[in-house]
Amino acid sequence: MKRNLFVNLAGILIAMLLGAIVMLIQGYNPVETYSALFGYSLANFYSFSTTLRNAVPLILTGLSASVAFASGPVNLGQPGQLLIGAIFCVIGGLYVDLPPYLMIPFLLLLSMIGGAVWSGIAALLKKFFRMDEFITTLMLNMIADYLTYWAITYPLFEPRANHPQTPLITKNGFMPKWGNFNTNVIVMLIVFFVIWFILNRTTAGYEWRISGKNSLFARIGGVKIEKNYLAVMLLTGALAGLAGGLVIMSGPHRFIKGLGANYAWDGIMIAMVANNGIPATLLYGLFFSILQTGSLGMELITAVPSELITVLQAVIVLVVVASRGYFELMIAKIATRRKLKDRDIYPQLINENAIDREDANQ
Amino acid sequence: MTDVITMDHIVKVFPPNVVALNNVSVTFREGEIHAVVGENGAGKTTLMKILYGMQEANSGKIFLKGSQVHFNKPGEAISSGIGMVHQEILLIPEYSVWENVILGVEPTGYFGKIDQQKSRQKVKQQIDEFQFHLDPDARVEEISVAARQKVEILKLLYRNVSFLILDEPTSVLTPQEIPQLFDELRRMRDNGRTIVYISHHLEEVLELSDRITVLRKGSKIDTIESSAATKKSLAQMMVGREVIFESIRKTARTGNIVFDMSGLDYSFPQKRPILQNIQIQVREGEIVGIAGVEGNGQLEVVRIIMGLLKPDHGKIEIQGKDFTHASILERREKISFVSQDRANMGSCLNATISENIIMTHHRLNKRFSKWNGIVLNKSQIRIFSEEVRKSFDIQMDSTEAEIKSLSGGNQQKTILGRELSLDTPFLLLDQPTRGLDVGSIEYVHEHILQMRDDAHAILLLSADLEELFRLSDRILVLHRGKIVANLKTEQTSIEEVGYLMLEGGAQ
Repeated sequence: MKRNLFVNLAGILIAMLLGAIVMLIQGYNPVETYSALFGYSLANFYSFSTTLRNAVPLILTGLSASVAFASGPVNLGQPGQLLIGAIFCVIGGLYVDLPPYLMIPFLLLLSMIGGAVWSGIAALLKKFFRMDEFITTLMLNMIADYLTYWAITYPLFEPRANHPQTPLITKNGFMPKWGNFNTNVIVMLIVFFVIWFILNRTTAGYEWRISGKNSLFARIGGVKIEKNYLAVMLLTGALAGLAGGLVIMSGPHRFIKGLGANYAWDGIMIAMVANNGIPATLLYGLFFSILQTGSLGMELITAVPSELITVLQAVIVLVVVASRGYFELMIAKIATRRKLKDRDIYPQLINENAIDREDANQ
Repeated sequence: MTDVITMDHIVKVFPPNVVALNNVSVTFREGEIHAVVGENGAGKTTLMKILYGMQEANSGKIFLKGSQVHFNKPGEAISSGIGMVHQEILLIPEYSVWENVILGVEPTGYFGKIDQQKSRQKVKQQIDEFQFHLDPDARVEEISVAARQKVEILKLLYRNVSFLILDEPTSVLTPQEIPQLFDELRRMRDNGRTIVYISHHLEEVLELSDRITVLRKGSKIDTIESSAATKKSLAQMMVGREVIFESIRKTARTGNIVFDMSGLDYSFPQKRPILQNIQIQVREGEIVGIAGVEGNGQLEVVRIIMGLLKPDHGKIEIQGKDFTHASILERREKISFVSQDRANMGSCLNATISENIIMTHHRLNKRFSKWNGIVLNKSQIRIFSEEVRKSFDIQMDSTEAEIKSLSGGNQQKTILGRELSLDTPFLLLDQPTRGLDVGSIEYVHEHILQMRDDAHAILLLSADLEELFRLSDRILVLHRGKIVANLKTEQTSIEEVGYLMLEGGAQ
C-alpha cells in the first residue's frame, strides 16, 4: 500500500518535471504555469467545487473501466454507454415531471438503465454469437454517437436553436447546488463506496476479481462465469450511463452536440493508470480533473496553451505505468542487497545486474 | 574422466528474503549422468537455471572446461553446447513437431525462406535415430505430454547439445515410458554427452545416475557415487530425517456406493472414440485408483466428472442422485477436486492465499458469508485460513500474501487443504502429489488415507504406480479409453498393472 503510493507519487512528480522541461524549451516559466494551473483548480472554494464537479464523469467512467478490467470483461464502451445514459436521462426529463425528490432518483436510475442497455447489447452479442465485447463495445460507441446525434437533430430537436440540441429538461431534474458545490459529487461518492464494497466485501465481487485473474480456476471452483460476466457488463454500463445522466443533470441540463466529449476515454485512461484499483481510480480521477480544470486558468493567466495539459496527462500515464514495473524492481533490488549483507554472503561479489534480469524473467 | 563444468560458490537470493542457493559448488564430469536431488525448494532448478543462463547468480563463477564462462541468456548456453529441458514444457502448441524443433535455427534458402522439405526430413531422421516414435507433422497441442517432452529433448539434440539438463523429466511420464527414456539417456551418455538429471524420485536416481549431488534448503550436502548410496541414505540426506517408505494402509471397511459412473461414452472429434463404456464405482471408505498411460482417457474422465465436458452417453450418480447434467456448482457440493494443473485449475496465482483457500467454500459453506450469502465474512475467512494453514502445515508468512510467493509444495498443500476441508462424500484426486518432495508426499498420503478412514469415497488418478499401490484398495486400468481391468490391490502387482496399462486386456 505504502509502496504503491510512493510509486504513483514519484511517477506524477517525474511527469510534471518532464512537463516543466517542455515548458522551458518553449520559453514559458514552469513555476508560474503550475501555480496558475493549481491556483485555478484548487485555490478557493469556488474553483475546488468546479474541479470536483468536473471530476464526477471522469471518476464514474473510470470506475466503470476499472471494475470491468479487474473482473475480466474488456468493456471499452464507456463513451457510448455514457451517451445513451445521457439521452435516456434527457428523454425522462422532457416527458416526465415529478417533484425533485422523486425526479432526481428517477432520472439517475433511467440513465443507469440506458448505459446498462447499451452494454447489455454487447453482452448478448457475446452470449449468442460469441462476439468479443472488446470489438462490439467499441463499435457500439460509434452507433451511440450517431444515434444520439440523430435523436437531437430530429425527434428531440429544439426548434429555435441554431445547433442540434434538445430543450431543457424539467427544473425538477436539475442536481441541486449549494453555492457552487454541485451535489453530483455526493452521488459519485456514494457510488464509489458502493462499488468498493461490492468488489472487496461481497461474494460476487470476490468471484469477479478471481475470474478476472483466472477464469478457469473460478469456474472449476463453482463460480458461474457467464452470469457474472453479464452482471459485470450491466453494472459497468450502468456506471458509464450514470456518468452521462449526471453530466446532463449538473451541467447544461440538455443534450448538446458533442456532450461528454472525452470524459469516457479519459475514464478508461484513468483506470489504466490506477491499475484498476478502486481508490486509485478516485484519486486519479480527481487529479486529472485538477489538471483539466486548471488548464483553463493556466491559459488565461499565462500564455501556455491548454493543450499542454493533454500532453501532461499522457506523460503521466506513460511514466506511472512504466515506473510501476521499474520501482518494483528497484525495491526488490534493495531488499536483495540487504539480505545478502545480513547473511554476509560474499557482499563484495554481488552482481547488480543479476537482480534486474531476475525480474525480467518472472 | 575430465571435468566439463564446474560451478563455484554459487549464491542466489530471490527478493525479498529467500536464499535459494548458499555457496553451492558442483563439478560435472564428461560422460556421466549426474543426478541433482533435493526436496522442493532445495534449489535444484535454480542452480541449473543459473548454469543455463536463465537466471544470474548474485555471486560465484562457472567454468566450462577450465575457462570461466558467463551466459547472459539460454541461447548463449546452447551455442556452448549446454541445453535444458524444463519441468514446464515450452512449445508452441499450434506448430507441428518439426516446426517446433527447428524454431530459431531454421535451415533457410533464398531470401530467408525456410527449407521445409529439408528441415522436416532432418527432424524425421533424428526421430528415427533416437527411436522417439513421434509424428513430425503432428501439431504439438494434439500430442501427449510425454511426446511433448520428447520434442523438447529433440530440440536440444537438433542443436548439437552435449551437456543436457533435464528437470524432473519423469514427472510427466508413465512407468512404462521411463525405462525408454533411461535407455535414451544412457545411450547419450555412452556417446560422451553429459546429463544432469534433476529429480526427487530416489529409485530413478539410483538406477540411472553415476553420481548424485544432494541439495537441502539451498546448501549442498554432498556429492556421492551412486553405487555407494541407498534410498534410505539419500532420503536422509535430502530431508535430514528418516522417511518411512512402507505402506501405511489399513484394511478398508467399505460401505454404500457413493460414486457411480456407468456406460459412459465420449468421442472427440465426432466418431473418434476417446472413452468407451466406462464403469467406475467407488464406495464409502474406499480408494479406487486409476492407472493408465497418459493420454488414454484420464483427462477426459476427470473433465467429465467435473462437468467441463459433456459425455455422449452414460450416467453419473453420486449418492444415488443423477449428476450427469448438473452444473459445476451442484457437483462441487458432492465432489472435492484436486487438479493436476496446479497453476491454472488448482489455484489463482495472483490472488492471496486466503482468497485461494475459500474458493468453493464461499458458496457452499454459510459460515463464510453474511446477509444471505451476499457479503463475505472476513473474520471467518481469516480464522479458516489459519486453520487450514495449521492442519496442513503450510509454510507462509501471511495468509494475505499472494499464493505464488509459496513454493510449489506449499501451494499444493494449500490446494489440498482447501479441497479436503470441503468434506464432501466424494473426492477426485488427479495426481495429488505431482511435483512434491518426499516429506510432503508422506504428509499428503496420510491425509488422503485419513479421509478414507472417515468414510469418504476417493477416486485417485496417478502416474505414479507406487502411489497407486500404496493408497488404493482397488485399481482400475484405463487403456485406450476402456477400463480393461478391475483389480484388488492385494491380488495384483506393479508388474501386472504395468503390463495391462501397455497391452490392454489380452495377457
